[in-house]
Amino acid sequence: MRLVRRRVAVGLGGCLLVAACGSGRSILDAGNEPVPTTTSPPSTTPVTAPPGQTLPSTIPTTTVVQTTTTTPLDSLPPCPVDALPTEGEPVQITFWHGFGTEIEQTLLALTEEYHASQDAVRVTLQNQGGYRQTIDKFFQSGQDSRPQLVSMPEYMLQQTADSSTVIPVGACIEASDYDTAAFLPGVLEAYRTSGVQWAMPFNVSDPVLYYNRRTFEAAGLDPDDPPLSIEELRATSQAIVDSGAARYGIAFDSGVDSGGGWFLEQWFAKAGELYADNGNGRLGRATRVLYSGPSGVELLSAVQSLIADGLAVYVGDNPNGQDALLKLADPVNAAAMTISSSGALGTVINVLDGGLIPNITSADLGIGPMPGPDGNPLALVGGASLYIVAEKGDAEAAAAWDYVQYLVDAQVQSKWAAATGYVPVREDATEVDPLRALYATDPRFLVAYDTVRAAPPNDPSALGPVVGPLREVRSATAGAVAAIFAGADVATSLAAAAQQSDALITDYNARN
Amino acid sequence: MLAPSLAILVAFVLYPLGRAVWLGQTRCNAQGEDCRSNGWDQYVDVARSEEFQQALLVTAKFALITVPLGIVLGVGLAVLADKYLRGIGIFRAIFSSTIATSVAVASLMWLFLLEPSVGVLSNVGWISDAFPVVKSPGLLNDTGTALWSIALTSVWAGLGFTFILVTAGLQGIPRDLHEAAVVDGAGGVRRFWNVTLPLLGPTLLFVVIVLTTRAFQAYGEVDLLTNGGPQPTDPTTTLTYLTYGGTSIINNNLGLQAATAVLLFVVLLGLSVLQLAGIGRRVHYG
Amino acid sequence: MTSDATTTYDSPSGWRAVGRYGLLVVVSAMVLFPVYTTVVAALKPGNKVLENPLIPDAFTLEVLGDAWTEGRLGRFLLNSLIVAVIITVAQVVTAVLSAYAFALLQFPGRTVLFVVFLATLLVPIEATLVVNRRTVDSLGWLNSYAGLTVPFLAAAFGTFLMRQVFLTLPRDLRDAAAIDGVGHLGFLRHVAVPLVRPTIGAMALFGFLGAFSQYLWPNLITTETDMYTVQSGLRQLSESRLDQPNLVMAGVIIAAVPIAVVLLIFQRQLVRGLTAGGVKG
Repeated sequence: MRLVRRRVAVGLGGCLLVAACGSGRSILDAGNEPVPTTTSPPSTTPVTAPPGQTLPSTIPTTTVVQTTTTTPLDSLPPCPVDALPTEGEPVQITFWHGFGTEIEQTLLALTEEYHASQDAVRVTLQNQGGYRQTIDKFFQSGQDSRPQLVSMPEYMLQQTADSSTVIPVGACIEASDYDTAAFLPGVLEAYRTSGVQWAMPFNVSDPVLYYNRRTFEAAGLDPDDPPLSIEELRATSQAIVDSGAARYGIAFDSGVDSGGGWFLEQWFAKAGELYADNGNGRLGRATRVLYSGPSGVELLSAVQSLIADGLAVYVGDNPNGQDALLKLADPVNAAAMTISSSGALGTVINVLDGGLIPNITSADLGIGPMPGPDGNPLALVGGASLYIVAEKGDAEAAAAWDYVQYLVDAQVQSKWAAATGYVPVREDATEVDPLRALYATDPRFLVAYDTVRAAPPNDPSALGPVVGPLREVRSATAGAVAAIFAGADVATSLAAAAQQSDALITDYNARN
Repeated sequence: MLAPSLAILVAFVLYPLGRAVWLGQTRCNAQGEDCRSNGWDQYVDVARSEEFQQALLVTAKFALITVPLGIVLGVGLAVLADKYLRGIGIFRAIFSSTIATSVAVASLMWLFLLEPSVGVLSNVGWISDAFPVVKSPGLLNDTGTALWSIALTSVWAGLGFTFILVTAGLQGIPRDLHEAAVVDGAGGVRRFWNVTLPLLGPTLLFVVIVLTTRAFQAYGEVDLLTNGGPQPTDPTTTLTYLTYGGTSIINNNLGLQAATAVLLFVVLLGLSVLQLAGIGRRVHYG
Repeated sequence: MTSDATTTYDSPSGWRAVGRYGLLVVVSAMVLFPVYTTVVAALKPGNKVLENPLIPDAFTLEVLGDAWTEGRLGRFLLNSLIVAVIITVAQVVTAVLSAYAFALLQFPGRTVLFVVFLATLLVPIEATLVVNRRTVDSLGWLNSYAGLTVPFLAAAFGTFLMRQVFLTLPRDLRDAAAIDGVGHLGFLRHVAVPLVRPTIGAMALFGFLGAFSQYLWPNLITTETDMYTVQSGLRQLSESRLDQPNLVMAGVIIAAVPIAVVLLIFQRQLVRGLTAGGVKG
C-alpha cells in the first residue's frame, strides 16, 4: 500500500537523520561541562569507626582518598520517644509498605495483636503495590502526604538518608535506651552509615542455594552436603552432568535483584573485598565502585567458564524472579541447583506441596549456603527496613517508635519469621516458638539465618555497599553480567559497567 | 463555552508541559526538589546521547512494526466482516472485543502466553519442541524476539479499535459506488483497490496517526512484559520506558526525565506534521 | 439485523458463503486465542495449570473467588467504575461545549486555539505525570475521586470528534433558529445534540473505555488501598503472585468482564456513531 510505503520511508529517513546526530555520550553527562578525569590509586587502609563513638568529620576531597564522615545525631531530627500520650484517644499512624498480598496477611494479623495489646496506638497498613511503588510514591509526595512509618528496601539506605525526611532510628534507640544486644550484629549494622543508624531492619532475606536432593542422590552425591565454594560447585556440577542426573549443574540468571546485581555484592562480601570506596560507602560518601578490579574479573570469569563448559546454564534476565527456580523443574533440560533469595523458600515449599510442579515434591528440595569465593558462608542482608518519618508530629513519631519496637520484639519476630520465611532480626527470636519449632523440624529455614549470622560486625566489606543510586548501579552490573554469561570478555564488560556506575554515583553526589 | 475544556487542559496538560520544559534544563535531587539550572544545552545533549538515540531507535522500530501490521490486519478484518451474512454480528463483536482490554489486561494475557516457565506456549509440548526459543531463554528474554513479542501484544490489543474505525469507514462508502463498479465489470479485488481504499483514505489517515501516537506512547506493555528488555542490549527500552521505567538509568533524575519526555513530545509533533503533510495530501475527501 | 447500518453491498450465498464463514471462524479463533487460554487457566485449580494449558481438563470456580477476595477486586472494580463514569460524563459535556464553539462560533484566535487543543493529544503522559502529581498533592486530592478524575474531565479527542460532526450540520438550521431568537445554548440543547446523539454515544463509549483502562495515573496518586482502581489491583496481583498464574489470570478475567459487557451492549451504537459524524477529514 502506498500509505505503508510512505510510512516506512518516513520512518527510515527519520532514523538515519537521528543516527547521524548521535554523540556517543551518556545521557548522564547531558548539559554538563566535560571534566578531566583524575585517576589515582585508592588508599587501601580502611578506617573503621568504633560503634558508639564519633570520629571527627573530614571534608571529602576530589582525589580518591579514603574519607570518613560522621553525621552527629544532633544535626538530625530528634526522636521524641516520650511524647506518647498515656490517656485519651489513641494516636493514629499510617504504615506504607510494599509486601505482596500473602505476606501482608501475616503483617495484618500481627498488627491486630498489637492493637489488642495496648490502647495508645492504632496503625493503618497501606500496601502501595510493591517496593518500587512505595519508593516512588514516598519521594514524590509532599511531606504532609507521607505516612508516619515506611518500609524501604535495603538498597534505598543512602537515598532515604539523604532525603532529610526521616528520623534516624538510632536517635530513638539512644533516647529510649533500647537494648540491641540480642540483634544479629550484621543485620543492624547493615542499615548504619556514616555513624548513624538510619533504619530498623524488619524483614531480612539473603540468597541461598536451592537444589534438588533427588538429583544429587542420582548423581552419587551426598544430598546433605551442598557445595560451598566455586571450586566445589564446579566439581558437583561436573558429577551431575557426567552422571546424567540432570542436564546442568546450576542455573544462573542476570536479574537486577539476583544474579546480575545483588549476587555480585554478595560474592564481594564473601571474598572480604570492598564493592565501593570509602568503606563501601559506610565510612563516607562513596565516590566510585571497585568491582571491576582483579577480584571481580576472576570471580566472573570462573562463573563464565562454568557456563561455557556446559556445567551451568544462563536463564536470562529473570524479570519475574522465577525463571531460575523453575529451571529446576524443567522436564527435559533441568538444572540441579540455583541461587535465589531465602524469602522465596516459604512460597516455593507451598507451590511444591500444592503440586504445581509435577515431578518435584517439597521433600526433594535442599537448601544450602550460597556458594562463593573460598567457601565463606556469610551473606549480606537483603529485604527491607523501617524508617520513621520526620515532621509528622511528636506523638506520631513516638507512636511509630512504639510500633517498631513491637515489630522487632523477640516473640513477634518469631511469629513473623516462621510465617513468612524471612530471617529474624534477633537471636532470641529463635529460642521461642513458633520459630524454634520450625527451625527444629525443618532445618532448611535455618540456613539463611546461619549465613546472615556469620557476618562479622564492624567490617564494611561484610556489610555490603551503600550507594545513592544503588539500584541503577545494579542495573549496570546486570547488563555486564548478562553480556558475560553470553560469552563477552569479562574485564571489558565489567569496566564498562564500572564506568557507568561511577557516572551514576558522581551525578547522584552532585545533585544530593 | 470553551472555558471548562480549556481550563482543564491548561491546568493539567499545558502547564505541566511548560513546567516540564523548564525542568528539562535543570538537575534535581532524588526527591525532585532543589532543581538547579544546568543550561539549555542539556536538551541537545540528551537528544544526542547514546541512551536516547537507542530508545528512539527502539521506539521507531516498534512503531514500524505495529502500525503497518495493525492497519493491514484491521482492514483485513473489517473487509472480512463486511458482508451481509447471518450471524455476522457475532463475528463483528469478536473482532472488536480487544478494544475492551486495558493495557494491563492485554499485557498480562500475553505474559501468560509468552512466559518461559509458567506460560502457555512453553508448556505445550509440540510448540516448545518446534521453537526452542520459546522455553530457552523465552520469547520475552531473547534479545531478538522480545520487541516483536511486545509488538504483537500491542497489535492484538489495538485490533478492536482499528476494526471498529475501519468498519465505520467502510459503511460510510455509498452503496451506489460499489454497485456502479460491479456494473462496470470490476472484480472484488479491483473494486477494493480502486473504490474502497481511496475512499477509506481519511479513515486510514486518522488510524495511522492514532496508532503511531499510541506506539510512541506505549509504556504498560514494556513495564509488564520485559521491564525494559533483556540485557545486555535492552531491545525493548522505548522512549517512554527510558523516561519513566523502573530500570531506566535516569530513574530518580527528574531533570533528565523531563527533558526526555519533552523531546518525546517534540518527536511526536514532528511525526504528526510529517504524516499529515505527507500522506494527508494524497487523501481524497468526499 | 436488517438495519441499514449493517448491510453492505452484497451478501454471498452458497459455497462463497461457506468459505466466508470458514475464514471468519478461523480468524476469530486466532483473535480469541489469548482470551481462551486466560479463561482456561482462571478456571483451573493450582496443580493443573501447567499441564495442558490449552485444554480445560479441570474446572473450579475457587480461583476466581480467591482472586476476588485476596485481590480485593470488588472494591477496586467499584472505584474504577465510579471514576470511569464521572470522567465519561464530564468529557461528553466539555467536548460538546467546546466542539460547538469551534464549529459554529466565530471568535478571534479560533484556529490557534484549535491547534493547541489538537497538540494536547500528542503530549505524552510521562511529561505531565510528575507535575500533575504535585498539583494534585498540594490540592489535597490524593486518594480521592477528585484526584482520579479532574485531570481528565476534558480530552481533546472528544472535542475533535464532535467538531467533525457539528461541521456537518446544515447552516440553515442554525440560521433558522437564530431568526426564531434561540440562543446558542438553547440551539445546542434542543437541536444540535439530539441530531448528533450517535456520535456522542460513540465518544462516550471511547471515553469510558479509556478511563476504565487507565494505568499510570491511578497507580501514582493512590496511596490508600481503598482507593485503588482495578488496574492497580491487577498489577499488584501479578507482581506478587505470579507463582500462581491461575490466580493472576482469574484477576484478569474479573477486571476485563465489565468492559466486555459494556462493549457487547453498545457495539453497534459505536459503529453507527462513528459512521454518522464520520472520521473523515
